[in-house]
Amino acid sequence: MTLVEFPYMAKGAMVFWGIGSLLSAFSAKERVLKVLGMGLMMAGTAIMVFFLIAFWMELDRPPLRTLGETRLWYATLIPVVGFLVEYRWKINWLKYYCVALASFFLWVNIRFPEVYDKTLMPALQSVWFIPHVVVYLVGYVLLAASSAAAWHSIFRNRLSEGKNGLEVGHYLALLGFVFLTFGLVFGALWAKEAWGHYWTWDPKETWALIAWLVYLGYMHANSAKVDRNKLQWYLALAFLVLLVSWFGVNYLPSAQSSVHTYQTG
Amino acid sequence: MGSKGEKRSVVSWSFREGVIFSVMLVGIGFLIEAVLGAQGVVLPSWPRNVWVLFLFSAYIVVVALVLRENSFVKWLGGIPLGLCLIIAIAVLSLFGGVLPQEAGAGPSWAQSLRLNNVFSSWPFALTVFFFLFNLGLSLVWKTVPFKSSNLQFVLFHAGFWIALACGLTGSADLQRVIIPLYEGRSTDRAYNSASKTMIDLPFSIYLNDFKMEEYEPWLALYDPKKDKVEVDESAKGSGVAEGMVVSWHGVEVTVEKFLPLAIVDDGTGVPVPAETGRGVPYALLSGNDNGEPFSGWVSTGSPFEKPVFVEVGNRLLILVNGSPKKFRSEVTIRSGKEGDGRSEALEVNKPVSIEGWTLYQMGYDEKSGKWSELSLVEGVRDPWLPVVYVGFFMILAGNTLFFWKGIRKKQLIGKEAGN
Repeated sequence: MTLVEFPYMAKGAMVFWGIGSLLSAFSAKERVLKVLGMGLMMAGTAIMVFFLIAFWMELDRPPLRTLGETRLWYATLIPVVGFLVEYRWKINWLKYYCVALASFFLWVNIRFPEVYDKTLMPALQSVWFIPHVVVYLVGYVLLAASSAAAWHSIFRNRLSEGKNGLEVGHYLALLGFVFLTFGLVFGALWAKEAWGHYWTWDPKETWALIAWLVYLGYMHANSAKVDRNKLQWYLALAFLVLLVSWFGVNYLPSAQSSVHTYQTG
Repeated sequence: MGSKGEKRSVVSWSFREGVIFSVMLVGIGFLIEAVLGAQGVVLPSWPRNVWVLFLFSAYIVVVALVLRENSFVKWLGGIPLGLCLIIAIAVLSLFGGVLPQEAGAGPSWAQSLRLNNVFSSWPFALTVFFFLFNLGLSLVWKTVPFKSSNLQFVLFHAGFWIALACGLTGSADLQRVIIPLYEGRSTDRAYNSASKTMIDLPFSIYLNDFKMEEYEPWLALYDPKKDKVEVDESAKGSGVAEGMVVSWHGVEVTVEKFLPLAIVDDGTGVPVPAETGRGVPYALLSGNDNGEPFSGWVSTGSPFEKPVFVEVGNRLLILVNGSPKKFRSEVTIRSGKEGDGRSEALEVNKPVSIEGWTLYQMGYDEKSGKWSELSLVEGVRDPWLPVVYVGFFMILAGNTLFFWKGIRKKQLIGKEAGN
C-alpha cells in the first residue's frame, strides 16, 4: 500500500464518515439507524488504520517522519477520541467535529501529496523517535478534540448541554497537556543524544515551548477559578498556537535555521 | 454574600496588578536594551553562578517562610501573577519563534531591542527571574508543611524550577566545541565557535576510519539549459532497483542492470562489480524518449572518477547519490589515565563520554560524501547536566501522577454523566 492508493482510501474513509455522521445525526430515536451510523463511522476509521499498517510495512520505517505522515495519524486517531468520549461520557456530538477535523487533514494530504520517500536520516534513527512523536501525536489529538468541544460550547446553547460539555473540553485539555509535557521532556532528552544539547532554542523547540506555556496558562487559569465559559474561548483558540508549532513554523522566517526539517523535495 | 464579593474583587485586583507588573517588567527590559545598545544579559560563570543561585534560593525560602502572611508576598507567589508571567514568557518566546535568532538578522528596530537574540535579552531575563521567584514561593508554601496530597504539585513545580534555574545559570559553563578529525591523524585541539578560540582538550582523538552507508541512488532528468533536476516523485527515495520502470516527462526508462559498487573494466570499458572501496553505483538503462530509443550506463561518479550519464534529447539522464543512511567515525581516544587508548565508534545518536566531555558525530566533508577523510566531531562539556536531568525526571514523575489523577477524575465525571 503506497501513497498512490492513498486518495482512494482517504476518500473511502471520508464517505463512510460522512454517511455515518448523517445517519447518526438524523437517527432521532431509531436505534437501528444510530447503530448503523456508528458502524459506518468506525468502518471509515478502520480503513485508515488498515492503510496506516500497510503503509508502514511498505515503507519499512514508521510513517512518522514528515508532516504529511503525521497528518495521517491525526486523521486516524482523532475520530477514535470522539468514539471513546461517546462511550465514556455519553456525549455524542464530539465525534462529528472529530471526523470533520480528520477529513480536513486527509483533504490536505490529497491536495498536497508528498514525496514518497523511504529514507530515514541518521538523526531520526533513535529509540526516542517513536515515543517522542507518538506522545506528541496523542497530545495533539486530545487537544484538537478539546478545542472542538470548546467551539461546540461556544456556538451551541451551553445550558442545553449542561456542565458536561465544558467538563469534557477541560479533561481532554488536561490529558493533552500531560502528553505535551511528556513530548517536550522526551524531546529534550533525545536532543541531548542527537545534537549535543537538550535545548537550543531551535524554532520548533521554541514553538513547542510556546504551545506548552499556553496550555500551562490554561491549567493555571482553571486553578484560579477563572469563569469556565470564558476559558472555552481560550481552549478553542489555543489549538491555533499548536497548529503553528505543528506545521506553521516551517513557513516562518525563523525556520531557515531549524534542525527540525525532515521534508525533502 | 459580602465575603464572596470581596474575594472575587481580590482575585480580579490581583490579575490586573499581575498584568501591569508583567507589562512593566517587559517594558523596563526593552528600555535597558534600547539604552545600552542591545548588549543583552551576561550570566556569571563558575563558581560565581553557584553562589548567585544559592543566595537566590535561600532568599526565596526565607521570604516565603517569614512573610507568609504578608499580602504583597502572597500576591508575588500567587497564581494570578504566575499566569501573567507565563503569558509574558510565551509572548517573548513568540518573537524568538518568528524572527530569525542570529546576530545581525532581522530589521534594525528589532535588533536595537535585541529581538534577534531575545532569549539572552533583558526583558526575557527579568520575566524569567520573577517567574522563578513566583514559582519558588508557591513551591515553599506547598512543601512546608508537607502533605502527601501535594506530592504531584511539588514534583512538577520543583522539577521545573530546578531545570529552568539550573539550565539558565549553567548555560554560562556550557562548552560546545568542534573537533575536526582527519583520517590517520590525531588531535587534542578543538574550536569553540562561541568564543572563536582554540582550546586544548584533556584527551586526544585519532581517526582510524570514517565510514558511511548510503541509501540506494535514484534516477533523475537534468536539463542543462535550465540547470534543473527533474525527479520522478514516485521513484525518489525508493531507490534504483533492477527491473524498475519509470516514466516521466515523455521519457520511459527501464533499469536493466544495477551494480551498487562497480568500476569500469580497463579492457572492455564495461562496469564490473568491484571489491575495492573505490567502486561507485552503476546502472544500465534502456528506454525511449517520446518514441526515440536509447540505452547506456549511468553512474553517480566519485572524487576519483567522473559521473556517467545518458543523453536523452537535450536532457541528461543521471544517477543521483542516495541520502546518507549511517555515518560513523572509528576513533582511538587517549587520555592521561588510559595510556593505551580506547577504541570507540562515534555515530549520530550514539555519543561517547570521556573526561567530563561528551563526543558527538556531527558531520563530514559533504562534497566528498562517503569518501570524506574529514570527520567533524562535536565535544560538549556541561557540568550542570546532572542537576537539570534531576529536574526533568521530577517533571516526568509529577506528570505521571498528574495523568493518573486526570484519569481518576474522568471516571468520576463518567459516573456523573451516567447518572
